[in-house]
Amino acid sequence: MAVIIISSNSLPKAAQIATETAKALNYRCLGRELLREVGEKYGVSEERLHKTLDELPSLLGVNAKAHALYLAYIEEAVLAKLSQDRVVCHGLAAHLYVRGVSHAFKVRVLADPSELIPSIMREKGVSPEKAAKDAKHEEALRSRWSLDDYRVDEAAPSLYDLIIDLSRMLPEKAVRMIMETSSHPKFKPMTYSVKAVNDMELASRVRVALLEHFPDVIVQADGAAVVVETTAVPREKGKKVEAIEKLVRSVPGVGHVEVHVANDIIRQAAESFR
Amino acid sequence: MANQLQLLILDDEPIVGKRLSPALNKLGCEIETFEDPESALKRIGEKEFHIVVTDVRMENIDGLQVLEKVLAQSPRTKVIMITGYATMEIAREALAKGAFDFIAKPFTPGDLRKIVAEAAKAVGFSLKYDAEAA
Repeated sequence: MAVIIISSNSLPKAAQIATETAKALNYRCLGRELLREVGEKYGVSEERLHKTLDELPSLLGVNAKAHALYLAYIEEAVLAKLSQDRVVCHGLAAHLYVRGVSHAFKVRVLADPSELIPSIMREKGVSPEKAAKDAKHEEALRSRWSLDDYRVDEAAPSLYDLIIDLSRMLPEKAVRMIMETSSHPKFKPMTYSVKAVNDMELASRVRVALLEHFPDVIVQADGAAVVVETTAVPREKGKKVEAIEKLVRSVPGVGHVEVHVANDIIRQAAESFR
Repeated sequence: MANQLQLLILDDEPIVGKRLSPALNKLGCEIETFEDPESALKRIGEKEFHIVVTDVRMENIDGLQVLEKVLAQSPRTKVIMITGYATMEIAREALAKGAFDFIAKPFTPGDLRKIVAEAAKAVGFSLKYDAEAA
């Protein structure tokens, strides 16, 4: 169940490197095509799932509630694959939510600007200056997107085990470097890291079960035990705990549920002024 | 090495050795338990073990040092790290230094039996491990 996660400032470049690495290692390559499966399962158009991964929530695009819900769907689907297979993953933001997993080898690929700018020019039919400006804007947007959703800047080097600058290296050499580095014993799956993925996978399924009704929940799993954190005003606490417990128990693999409820101070204050 | 699987358990919490010994005995191995790393390393210097199960966080000598010393002396020995303070960094360091596996506490005796059975297989022993019973 080895896992390689490739992130890049260029989606096509991440896809190219991921596809070639997966082929060379005989791993499954997991990319945006998964969104079709996710869309069919939950009745959401692929276009809206793409928008969720590429854009910030907006009134005219995907609103904040749907954005959070769609991300939960995507995470659930990705984690299910990562817990079953040897995978090279790209384009699904896995570098942001697969955390603390020692066998998840994370790579950041920096596209060669001499290729990136012309590709934007071709795609959008714009001048070199405009293409360079668009590339900068896109990077700033990605940083904001990742900070808003996962509280981490995806451009931060500390997020990755390996950073490859394609302006200094050919893609074929980059693939070889990824293959060689990923074979280091420290990236080998072990009982601890496999359990970490399984725990995340269960937590993601529980989140999907809860989010539609309870968008403020934080879910953690440890084996078959699930802990849900939420907020409520005192008079609603009992009912909310009961409803959450019922939903969580319906998720396969859950053995024990704990719901921790903190006071919803904001709602309580707002109600006291009425 | 002996015909019977030789296993050493090192954990500074006495309860760990007491709980794990009977659980691993079911696999039919000969077990010695230690609570302090110095005594364990002294014993490892005298006798070659097939498998060493060691805690990571201990006073004076930690589990990663034990791992290095065991493998320096007996590269065939499989070392299984157990810890209540697992992090991705420690797990990676343990595997980079040659640990066979790494498991976070709390775990069930059945979890460890499964790993020990895999380690035993890697050193040429076939243990009667019953996944259903675990």
